[in-house]
Amino acid sequence: MSDADSPIVLNLESDGDLLKEYVIESREHLNNIEQGALMLEEHPDDADTLNSVFRSFHTFKGGAGFLNLNPISQLAHGLESLLDLARQQKLAFDAPGIELILRGRDLLKQFIDQIDAQLTGAAPLSPIAISISDFMGKIEAAMAVQPKPEPSPRPAETSAPVSASESATVKVDTGKLDSLVDLVGELMIAQSLVAQDTNSQAAANPQLARNMAQMARVTRELQRVSLSLRMVPIRGVFQKMARVVRDLAARQNKEVQLITEGEETELDRNLVEQLADPLLHMVRNAIDHGLESPEAREARGKPRAGVIHLRARHQSGGIIVELQDDGQGLDRERILAKAAAKGLAEPGAKLTDLEIWQFIFTPGFSTAQEVTDLSGRGVGLDVVRRNIERLRGRVDVESGPGQGTLFKLVLPLTMAIIDGLIVMVGGERYILPTLLARESFRPRPGMISTLPGRGEIVNLRGRVIPMLRLGEHFGIQPEAGEGIIVVVQTGPTLKCLLVDQLLHRQEVVIKNVSETIRQRNPSIAGAAILGDGRVGLILDVNALN
Amino acid sequence: MKAGECSIAEAPSAARPGKYLTFVLGGQSYGIDILRVREILRLIAITPVPKMPPHIRGVINLRGKIIPVLDLRAMFGLPAAAGHDRSCIVVVQGRQADAAGALTGLWVDTVDEVIHLSEKDIEAPPDFGRRMEDQPLLGVAKSGQAVKILLDLDRILRDQTSAPS
Repeated sequence: MSDADSPIVLNLESDGDLLKEYVIESREHLNNIEQGALMLEEHPDDADTLNSVFRSFHTFKGGAGFLNLNPISQLAHGLESLLDLARQQKLAFDAPGIELILRGRDLLKQFIDQIDAQLTGAAPLSPIAISISDFMGKIEAAMAVQPKPEPSPRPAETSAPVSASESATVKVDTGKLDSLVDLVGELMIAQSLVAQDTNSQAAANPQLARNMAQMARVTRELQRVSLSLRMVPIRGVFQKMARVVRDLAARQNKEVQLITEGEETELDRNLVEQLADPLLHMVRNAIDHGLESPEAREARGKPRAGVIHLRARHQSGGIIVELQDDGQGLDRERILAKAAAKGLAEPGAKLTDLEIWQFIFTPGFSTAQEVTDLSGRGVGLDVVRRNIERLRGRVDVESGPGQGTLFKLVLPLTMAIIDGLIVMVGGERYILPTLLARESFRPRPGMISTLPGRGEIVNLRGRVIPMLRLGEHFGIQPEAGEGIIVVVQTGPTLKCLLVDQLLHRQEVVIKNVSETIRQRNPSIAGAAILGDGRVGLILDVNALN
Repeated sequence: MKAGECSIAEAPSAARPGKYLTFVLGGQSYGIDILRVREILRLIAITPVPKMPPHIRGVINLRGKIIPVLDLRAMFGLPAAAGHDRSCIVVVQGRQADAAGALTGLWVDTVDEVIHLSEKDIEAPPDFGRRMEDQPLLGVAKSGQAVKILLDLDRILRDQTSAPS
């Protein structure tokens, strides 16, 4: 073990491609190890999982040996040996053992992360030195103990069955998938253009009408399938959370049980990646602030272990991810007091729960009495909201004192397509995300009034909502008529947008507009090609100010 | 803008002999390097973008790509002309072919012709007493009786992409 801590020096010129492959493969193994370890924690006798984790370490070792990544190969070897003893029933696989596997996996991940960073050029090329000797010592100590429970009659599997469960899959570059989805989007548009052009002839020509209908069906199906290629189950993110819950609970001396539902719910892989961060913040928040200590829970007549539910499901063309804890819930009075202290609310203001809960998403807002190393610094929830809004989704909160808190993320299924509400202003069409539109109505006389110096407001069922005349805001001459008001959710508050007409709802493929346009008008989130081939601009309602 | 001026100083641009596409703006003929021209579009609906300076006319759908369209009249301080059936959009390629916004449309009155210019046809831009660095000009060319102004495309595209001042 003398060279255990000798740094790794990458040779990108000769090994670059191999290293890339190795990093991709390793990430899969790291995931497999982590999931396996968590599974073993609950079912220590699960031989299949044990074997699968063992194989992952083994492959890790093999690749590292081939590429001369000495510390990695030694680390993987140590962990493999440990698991081998467990496989042979010579070592009881208990909590400290699982802990070792997880810590070892984290060390391996550090190596892989650094290799990855240097490969992609995110970090300068330099020797990678991560000390593993301490950890190797721990493994050896664990192996030396060998408490050896009486060997079970079950024969230990010696030759692991190789990849029996792996289904036939092909690895495809995500860039190719993205361009496929783009092309299919264009095909959809072309198809609808042709359909419009031939509409008049189709009435007189049943053959043409049939063929057009068939083409429409096939293109729609093609789009559905091509989008589904990018769809992955949310399971991966949920499993990450399982690890976070486990580690945080241990660190905070809290007992936490995580129950997940709907792990098979699928969404666009681009979204999955960006969902992990906000969820992580929310889970931390739930464990840190939401759940009480076991003692406090007992005193309140609750079970010692707090329960966190993580649920995902599809709903009305979007995906809903819920995080619910059964902790102390949000403290209405404390949040209100804090909001008043920060000048966000008038002292003694009568606010609905919904409005009060939104304060917790304000930057720098934290009612935590002590700052922990996890959360309570007032960063977190505002970042969560921003991230979710960037994904064109929104966060809802429900809570009651002593009843815990429910965070509900409402997200679109994919970033490639938006369910849009097409509105007309001054003869041009604009697209609002349907997910953010709450309702629409024709303004009745007396509904709109002007606050001097503050702009116009709409009185909607006793609620006062600021209003923006979109035409005026954009410097476009609106059409004559009283127009129609669309109520949209912008961050914590509602906003009324006055437009000329509400045309229809349509799924559109999102295209980027050039940087120069976005810089000059940040409320243009993108563009889409509408049914007639013309461009409609997608509005970012949060940037409309 | 400082960085932009710097790069001009490093690479003094001059009109090279070769083929040029000429178009007309307010009666004057202009030429651009034909190698940068991707295609010429007629009668295509431009979607105006709110809150843009006058020289950004809007965006168009170029076979599924959204590209910005510049109004050269507004850029050169010429009076705005109503669109008529001979107006065209000349789609040009930016220098960085990889960038997403590499294609840009130039809205012109009419497209004229493709001319071949040899070294002797091209002259340096005349000194109008103003600082020439402010103008997107590469030179002037005589073709028959007419004088054609050769434009610096990179300059035009860069001005368009630079942040509003």
